[in-house]
Amino acid sequence: MTGTLLGASVKMVIRDRQSIFWALAFPMIILGVFRLFSFGGGTTTNIVVAANTQTPAGAALVRALGDVSFLKVRTEPGLTEAQALEELTARRADVALLLVPSANPGQPATAELIDAINDPIGSSVTTAAIRSVVDGTNLALTGVPRAIELTSRTARVRRTTFFQFAGPGIIGMGLMTFATISLAGSLSRYREEGVLRRIRATPLPPWRFFSSVLGAHVLVSLAQVLLLAVVAQLLGAHVFDGGLSFILVAVYGTVIFLNIGVIIAGRVHGRGAVEGAANAVTMPMMFLSGSFFPTTSLPAAVQPLVELLPLTHMLHAMRALALDNESLVQQWPALLVMTAWMAGTLILARFSFAFADA
Amino acid sequence: MPGAAGEHPTAGAVITARGLVKRYGSLAALDGLSFTVSAGEIFGILGPNGAGKTTLVEILEGLTPVTGGTASVLGIEVTEQPQAVKARIGVQLQAASYHQYLTLREILDLFGSFYPRRADPVELLRRVHLEDRAESRMRTLSGGMRQRFSIVAALVNQPDLVFFDEPTAGLDPEARLDLWDIVRDVRAQGATVVLTTHYMEEAEALCDRVAFMNQGRMVALDTPQGLIRSLNAPYRLTLTTAHPLDEAEVRGIPGALEISQELTADGFVVRMRARSAPSVATALTTLAQRAGTDVIDLAVEPGTLEDVFLSVTGRRLSG
Repeated sequence: MTGTLLGASVKMVIRDRQSIFWALAFPMIILGVFRLFSFGGGTTTNIVVAANTQTPAGAALVRALGDVSFLKVRTEPGLTEAQALEELTARRADVALLLVPSANPGQPATAELIDAINDPIGSSVTTAAIRSVVDGTNLALTGVPRAIELTSRTARVRRTTFFQFAGPGIIGMGLMTFATISLAGSLSRYREEGVLRRIRATPLPPWRFFSSVLGAHVLVSLAQVLLLAVVAQLLGAHVFDGGLSFILVAVYGTVIFLNIGVIIAGRVHGRGAVEGAANAVTMPMMFLSGSFFPTTSLPAAVQPLVELLPLTHMLHAMRALALDNESLVQQWPALLVMTAWMAGTLILARFSFAFADA
Repeated sequence: MPGAAGEHPTAGAVITARGLVKRYGSLAALDGLSFTVSAGEIFGILGPNGAGKTTLVEILEGLTPVTGGTASVLGIEVTEQPQAVKARIGVQLQAASYHQYLTLREILDLFGSFYPRRADPVELLRRVHLEDRAESRMRTLSGGMRQRFSIVAALVNQPDLVFFDEPTAGLDPEARLDLWDIVRDVRAQGATVVLTTHYMEEAEALCDRVAFMNQGRMVALDTPQGLIRSLNAPYRLTLTTAHPLDEAEVRGIPGALEISQELTADGFVVRMRARSAPSVATALTTLAQRAGTDVIDLAVEPGTLEDVFLSVTGRRLSG
């Protein structure tokens, strides 16, 4: 009987388009959108150089600029300032460097740098790099020996990218929205359509029916976290590094949100009102718990609230496992808070949903 | 209480209710009901909305606790062991539905899994002509199909006693007749049937015995014919003549009650109720012959359960 009941409950979840939207489509759309965001940063800067490469200064400068890894150099001898501004406006170039040879031999040539990079950090980095190239070219052309020879290399340490940070957050958010919205919606639908009343007329003990509905949601959550982890990994988030512990924490946290779903279905009546309440609980939590951005960027006034939320702790543990190579045991503070939430919501759920009223 | 068949004389009792009381605050939904239902009968519970029919049935089904009294269902005290009763009865609930994302076969498999004894889903669907719909989902069915399915879903555990709560509510006449055949078939297969309805003709056509409920009380219980016979004047007579009859002579006919006479487009119409149809009809036609007027029409209608309900409660069941 248990197999038939659980099987039927799973079918009811996976055949419900709304549940599947919250379980898979919604988090996958968010994953895709955030992946696009992190592509948008751009890693090369287009520079147009107005210089005569026939002159030693012009040739040396263009060659030196070409050695800078993030610069893509195009030379346009004779480009006027007005034309350069047009290039920048039309986004054909991010930076323009206008080299004007000196009118009198012995006088230095002048170079004017115009950048149209909106991001202040990007702008100053680019300007500093070009300034350093111009300085180096000056030194090379004048043959002055260098007092300090600088070499540089890129260290092979792991720096978390934005998408790697967002990946576990979006998975946790998907689990939360599915568990709360889908379960609250299913239970209220069962109640309003009279399914619960019909079940009550059979000898099936109510707790077995409830267990099967909850069990089905846990099983679907497990499939959900596996699928979302694969998609996130393929898109470049390193969630597989979290291993089995990542999955365990995710499913453990889901139980809290299932309890919240039961509480909402029990306390709120009317299908539309239940769905509204489920959204009202999950949507603010999604942002306050740092699904997409670090909670440290939220105002200090809301930090105590942030620290109270179960999703904050669930995401903290999931990120520590996936991004920081921490072990499951090290997550005990987060797991402790989650367990407290689980116990509290379980007790509330137990007294919120009265099967006998169905 | 009119009717002598409160205790069915033939087979053993399947339901024995003793002084059932159900109160919601100060409101008495059931006010001391005692009756028995015998094995193999179709037992009808009739009454207007709010009479307490559904409350009574839900108590017998183990769904609602009682405030007072006891009820034995299939030999089990339902107030003490509701789960044991649920295992052996079949239930079709008013306004209850089934999972919209499961197919008919899956629903029958699921509900069958709740019981130790179960029937083959395909065979069940065949009984209500839904075998072609085994793989369809609930929401694709018409209203009549849903009702037929809800009847057959009550039979998954091959129950000894089946409750149908307003099984034909909202159905068109053809679908209703179809459902009556199914209910008769359920009884023919050996089950006892308890059904609630507010359709008089349904109770007359289907039920071996009928209980009338009004304001939480059982006001009459007998066979449909027994209830109609219990009326003071069960027959309704209408005589149409070319010329008026002498009113005093009409009133003098023994056994004629509630007499009225009027002129209509068809002629002079005398309406009355009668204790005995043959004697009053003979007396009326004799009166017309003596007056030398043509009898245009004489209609005799038997009494109905509606008349019984009106006579016991003072109000109409329908309308």
